[in-house]
Formats: sequence, structure tokens, C-alpha cells
Amino acid sequence: MVRMIGIEKWIGGIAIALCTTACSLDPNSEPIRQIQIQQNWAIQPGDRIAGHSVVAGLGDISIQLGGDRAYAPFAGKVQPSSNKCALFSSPDVPAYLFRLCGLDKLNLGEVQAGEAIGSGDYLYFATLRKQPDGTWTIVEPAKDILERILKPS
Amino acid sequence: MSDLEGDPPILKLLLLVGLVLVGFALMVDVRRVSWNSFADNSLKSSRPVETCQGEIHEDVVLSRENLAAFLTVSEREPKFRVQEILPQSYCQLPTIEVRAGVVSEREIYPLAFDPQTWLIILYEGEEYAGYQFRFQAPE
Repeated sequence: MVRMIGIEKWIGGIAIALCTTACSLDPNSEPIRQIQIQQNWAIQPGDRIAGHSVVAGLGDISIQLGGDRAYAPFAGKVQPSSNKCALFSSPDVPAYLFRLCGLDKLNLGEVQAGEAIGSGDYLYFATLRKQPDGTWTIVEPAKDILERILKPS
Repeated sequence: MSDLEGDPPILKLLLLVGLVLVGFALMVDVRRVSWNSFADNSLKSSRPVETCQGEIHEDVVLSRENLAAFLTVSEREPKFRVQEILPQSYCQLPTIEVRAGVVSEREIYPLAFDPQTWLIILYEGEEYAGYQFRFQAPE
């Protein structure tokens, strides 16, 4: 015969409340941002070829980080993109997005200028410029932006 | 279901303590804490927030009507198309180079109906490139 006494009811209530809280609130949960890139190349980062992942493609600058961190070039937002890639956007830099692939420990969400975005052995970096039709085109990044990303200040 | 009434009090206590600990772990974002708190100080921002440079025109604000007219201009149109609608900005941010060999100018317009929000417009040469809204923290 089952008879719930006070403490069991209390524990049950806590368990339900915790499950509800844990399942519904995650301040770092950032939805994956999908963008359409104007250059429709056949092989894209995130693709798999013969069981191996494509980590960079045409238009990506490959930088040997050697385990160092990459930093937010401006105050902005880090959103997950495809496999091991993040998109960084900033209200201070309208019309542009920055794609960073190859980083671990991604710091998703709102970040301050100079705050770490992630770290890794290699960074594959692309600069994307907005087009009138809403697509994004890969352009050649300036050294200034790369320096901001590689140095915290 | 089981009848816990017959279990030793120590078992109930352990169950309660376990639940509290699990709850604490769930409510604290473990990933964020481990990344931001246990790493060295270089994780934190040391770069100043971008602010106005040069002359500031305190009286410039953007009305709803002008904002609506501005939003009809599409990216890559000539700069003068925007300036016909918005002749004077509140101030300019420092010039930057995002794309190799191209200097970007950025102009700021606070919204008349929401002064904590700034419209930031970016130009590249004589071309309008795009806009974003920046939400200012109240002072």
C-alpha cells in the first residue's frame, strides 16, 4: 500500500520544478543561424567527403591558432552555424557577418568587444557581405579585422 | 511506486540532499561557468565600446516617417539616396576597414521615439552598404 507522506510530496515537487526549470531555461541556448551564401560552390564547410569533414572552403582564411583564442572584434552576438562554425554579427558593423570555423568551447550569445569567442588549433575565417536580395557573399577580409579577432585588445 | 515510509530516515535525507545538489547543478549553467569563471582574465573584454568621434549634433533624431522612408532604400544603392532622406547624422563612429582595401564610414541616428536605440548606417565609398540597430544600456 502506497501512502505519500510530507517529505515525499516535497521531494516530488522539487523534482518536478527542477525538471521544468532545467528543460525550459538555458540562457546560452542559441538557435542555429542559417544563411544563404551567394557563391553556390559544390563543396561547403560541414560537408563530408569519404568519411572526412570539410572544415573550410573557398573564401576562408586559414589561421594557425595553436590552441589560442579568437576574440570578438566588436560587441556583438555569436550564433552557432553549421558543424563547428559560428557566425558573429555586430550592430557596430552593419551589412557584414563573420564566419568562424574550427573553434572549440564556443562562447555563444552576446559578447563584448575583445571577449573570447572560442579557441582551437586552426581558425577558418570568412567575411560575408549582405546583398540586396538577402543573401551573403564572401569577400576578402581586411587585416584590421583579423588583428581584432586574434588579439584581445 | 514504493513505500518510502518504511525506509530509514537517513535514506530520505540523502535523497533530499542529492536532489538539491542536482538542482543546483542544473540551475547553474555549468558550461558558462567553466568557460568564463575558471579561465584567465584575458577572456574578458579589454576593448572599449565604440563611441562617437568628431562633431555631435545633439538635436538630430530620426522620426518614424524618416525611418520608414529610409527602409525603402536597398543595400548597394548610392549614398546620396540615403542622404536625401537623412541629410544630417547625430555623429560618426570611427572609420574601419572590414573588406580589404575599402574604408567604411558609419553614421548614427538615435530614434526620436526610442532614444536608447541607435540606427547605425554603413557606407563604403559612395555606396550604401547596410544598417543595424544598437540598443544602448540606460545610463
